[in-house]
Amino acid sequence: MSIALVLLALVPGAYFIAMVEGWTVHGRFSLTRPALSALALLGRESLLARTPDRLFFEAGPVLLLVAGLLAVAVIPLAPGLIITDLATGALFLNAALAYVLVALIMAGWGPNGAYGMIGGWRFLGQFVAYAMLIVMPITAVAMRAESLSTTVIVTSQAPLWNVFYQPIGFVLFVVAAQGLAWLPPLDLPNAPGDLAGGVEAEYTGVRLAVLRLARMVIILALAGAIVTFYLGGWLGPWLPAWAWSVIKILVVTTVMLTAGRLVPRVREARYLAISWKLGISLALANIFLVGVIALVVPI
Amino acid sequence: MFLVPVDAEKDSGHDHGGHGGHGGHDHSGHAKHDHAKSAAHGGHDHTSHAAADAPAQYTCPMHPEVVSDKPGSCPKCGMFLVPVDAKAEDHSGHDMGGHAGGAGHAGHSGGEAIEGIEANFMSMVDLTRDMPASADGLKMEWIEVPFGPFFPGLPGGLGLTLTLDGDAVAETRVQSLVSGPIAAAGMTPAEFVDHFADLSPLSPVSMRLLACLALEHAADFAPDAATATARAAAVERERIASHLGWLAGFAAQTGMVWMERRAAAMQLSFQAASPEQIATRSASLRAFLHRVRNTPLLRAKLSGNGRIAEGKPVAGPVARAQGIAADARVDDTVYAALGFQIVTGTGGDALARLHQRCDEIVQSLDLIARAKALSVAGPVEIGTASGQGEALVETPRGAARLTVELRDGRLVVATCLPPSVAHMDLLPELLASHEIADALVSVGSLDLSPWGLPV
Repeated sequence: MSIALVLLALVPGAYFIAMVEGWTVHGRFSLTRPALSALALLGRESLLARTPDRLFFEAGPVLLLVAGLLAVAVIPLAPGLIITDLATGALFLNAALAYVLVALIMAGWGPNGAYGMIGGWRFLGQFVAYAMLIVMPITAVAMRAESLSTTVIVTSQAPLWNVFYQPIGFVLFVVAAQGLAWLPPLDLPNAPGDLAGGVEAEYTGVRLAVLRLARMVIILALAGAIVTFYLGGWLGPWLPAWAWSVIKILVVTTVMLTAGRLVPRVREARYLAISWKLGISLALANIFLVGVIALVVPI
Repeated sequence: MFLVPVDAEKDSGHDHGGHGGHGGHDHSGHAKHDHAKSAAHGGHDHTSHAAADAPAQYTCPMHPEVVSDKPGSCPKCGMFLVPVDAKAEDHSGHDMGGHAGGAGHAGHSGGEAIEGIEANFMSMVDLTRDMPASADGLKMEWIEVPFGPFFPGLPGGLGLTLTLDGDAVAETRVQSLVSGPIAAAGMTPAEFVDHFADLSPLSPVSMRLLACLALEHAADFAPDAATATARAAAVERERIASHLGWLAGFAAQTGMVWMERRAAAMQLSFQAASPEQIATRSASLRAFLHRVRNTPLLRAKLSGNGRIAEGKPVAGPVARAQGIAADARVDDTVYAALGFQIVTGTGGDALARLHQRCDEIVQSLDLIARAKALSVAGPVEIGTASGQGEALVETPRGAARLTVELRDGRLVVATCLPPSVAHMDLLPELLASHEIADALVSVGSLDLSPWGLPV
């Protein structure tokens, strides 16, 4: 039951993302545009690049979608409303999202085109930048909850949300999530100005539709993870639990989609340098601080 | 580690080196077999086989002080001892330049001895043996990638082809795909002015003025001061629109959608605006430019990018952003009457160029406000004059020079030197070994116009 509900919830969620993204890109908010675009993509010829690596070309978008769906599986929308409440949920989320890298490299390599290939390899570099900053803040979250279960992590925030308890971790995790979902200003693998679409450049028709849908699911999964780990998940007064989850996830999604568009795309080398020199130091400091607080103040 | 015959070690084509890892075999037989086979094939390096028959000296890749006259393992680290000449050859393949510890890389040729996997399997040294190496010494497959004639953020018609080494630029080829010859011969002055303006659709007003001035110079005709001022104001309006158009493209390139949209809208609203409209819209333009300048992370993205070495031929905003006071308007009496003061910047990188163009937009707003009237140059009334004329106009991209020859009121020949010529020639050096995004920002920051170049 909850499997069906969560999967169904992805549909309006993805539609919402498409609306917000259309608004940020085209400057007009349209309720119908995503539906029309999707229809157009499905109706359009799905071109096959010349001499592609057929397996990678076809599997890339699908694997991306699978990675997103697996990550969604451990996001609780309400008590009991979760696809699978794994005891190692937070770790599982990490493992699922690791396939984003594999899928993007496959999708970049597959069509045998320069823009896509560079985009895919760029994401490998990007992975080096964001990977530790996904894992290390989650470590601090799990330390406080004394569990890797996402539902326990939510309930552990009843006295105080983690966004206030460990704000450094929150900021690091959000920035890393932007990198993982290759959202501006960290949209290096599909940078329109550098690579003319990069990984997406050679995809058309149904395959492009799957690729875009997969990315929306990943954004939703990451927004869900941010809400679960830092914004108290379903916790909130008056409204039903699921409503709080939905509201928070949509707000976080909107922020993720819009915030980065006001700044120029970050240079890859600089992104790596900052992530490692500043980001990892801060992440370590965060773990230390959370450890001290968890020992001293019992909340 | 085990003893390897010289031949197996060296001749990766036969891949017998792999047996070195299998342990304990007598490889002398292999060496002989190889020798016979390669003799039949011909074209092999026989010096190495000679070395196999009469063993040379062996040394450790990591410990050059260890020298032995028979193959074996290093007493210090246990690595394969490699023949001295093979080591030299492998090392030359690396081309590591000043890499002091380079001797250690010879060890790669032996590969790691792993049971069941041939040595040299997927060895980067072998895979990249004959590939060109870029400045960083890292060998990769070079790929040629087109970035034009239609690429987001770059001017349409610019045929930019980059040879990429990984994601760094190894070689640059740039050409205009839209320039044609100036077909002036036999044209009337009015026809020529239109034709010449059409050749440069990115700055037709300046080109129109340039054509008019050259023709008038040839005919010894000078327009009155009011006309000249109004013409200058039209060029300044075009400068505003052109710089805004550049900004829109640049914003598209760097991923700032809001800036792209605002700049493009502003460009359209200024392109054909009257002096009164410009006056009313100038406040919002100034506010926009202020916001552009203070965009977060802009400095990190642009500074140091696309810096041109001193002494290179540069023109227009690119030169002024470098602190060079090169501006054709300085010597112009019309501009002197408007109180023109040259604006220069410092730094000479992409950030300096962005600031320079913002400053120039503000300057042009002031000039138009002082000029009050505005009219696009042409048509010229010069009758059936004959003679040679020359003119210099500061277009949005720098000074353009036009020389014309008139005979009985008709054009004989016209030659023009637009400012982008020099900038396009700078690209190969400017982009070399830069990351692709940085390289494209450098290209974008030059505001190249592929139109109207000499062919």
